[in-house]
Amino acid sequence: MSGTRQSGSSTVWSLLLFATLALFAATLYAIFIVAPVEQQMGIVQKIFYFHVPSAYAMYIGFGVSAVGSAVYLLKRDPRWDALGVAGAEVGTLFCLIVLLTGPLWARKAWGVWWTWDPRLTTTLLAGMIFAAYLALRSMGDAGEVEKRFAAGLALFGLVDLPLIHYSVQRWRGVHPTVITGKGGGLESEMYWTLGLSFIAFTGLAALLIWARASVERQREESARLRLELMHR
Amino acid sequence: MRALIAALVLGCTMLITPMALAESPPEPDTADSEAQDAQEDAATERATQFVGVEGPEAESVPGGALMLAAYAIVWVLLFLFLLRIRGLQRQTAEELERLSAQIRASEDR
Repeated sequence: MSGTRQSGSSTVWSLLLFATLALFAATLYAIFIVAPVEQQMGIVQKIFYFHVPSAYAMYIGFGVSAVGSAVYLLKRDPRWDALGVAGAEVGTLFCLIVLLTGPLWARKAWGVWWTWDPRLTTTLLAGMIFAAYLALRSMGDAGEVEKRFAAGLALFGLVDLPLIHYSVQRWRGVHPTVITGKGGGLESEMYWTLGLSFIAFTGLAALLIWARASVERQREESARLRLELMHR
Repeated sequence: MRALIAALVLGCTMLITPMALAESPPEPDTADSEAQDAQEDAATERATQFVGVEGPEAESVPGGALMLAAYAIVWVLLFLFLLRIRGLQRQTAEELERLSAQIRASEDR
């Protein structure tokens, strides 16, 4: 039964991997061949097609981490804790991508690498909260107290996510509002390219969380066996 | 007659006094006005639309190099993360194998 489930899981994994790779190929074609160069900013605007979906993947990662942590606090099931760790790591990876690609665009568009805009600041804050989570979890084999404290930290980080999303609407800032605002939006080709990129990044985030959670479950099993051996 | 004169004086006083006391509208403070204009400019300057270019483009900051750097960062970080997962997976599999062997050995004793 376990073997059948593992085989089915492996098939889903392979299908998701193939679909994501195909989507990334299509996305890159759309970015560089189909979507036009932006009138004001020029070619640097094409960073937008990876920057924005990375921010979205960051939301997925941090969201999964918070959900995993909340269920772990309720059920104390290590599988949910593994999901929490995986989500936090993947979310932090995409947060890093957002915080590094954004300034490259900003240098051209705003003339500065960084500004304390509400959205930039709240994104940095989220990255720091989940970096603290990962630092706490990386200190050797985390005990029950560390796991619970880290889970609380993930839930605290969750509060920051709506702030990132709505900061650009609620407070005056310089961050573009082409998607979330009342502006003119995107041209048709730009819109479809961004949509494709969103789907590709969703697949990528799912694959990475899946792989990392699987490793974390194996680590939990390893810790359990070590404990069993110590008590013999 | 006195009452009429008194009423006229009172009426004139009531009309003229507020007019005399009324201040002319304050001159708009140029500093406040400039600050307000600057705020409105900041709001209108925020990008609300991306429009495709028509004709040749000229850029002062090398946008192409910045774009290439951004895409390189994405791929490098993803590759490093995959390497980390692979490393963790290998390390955990080896440890699981070692622990299982130790448990089997302790059961045989």
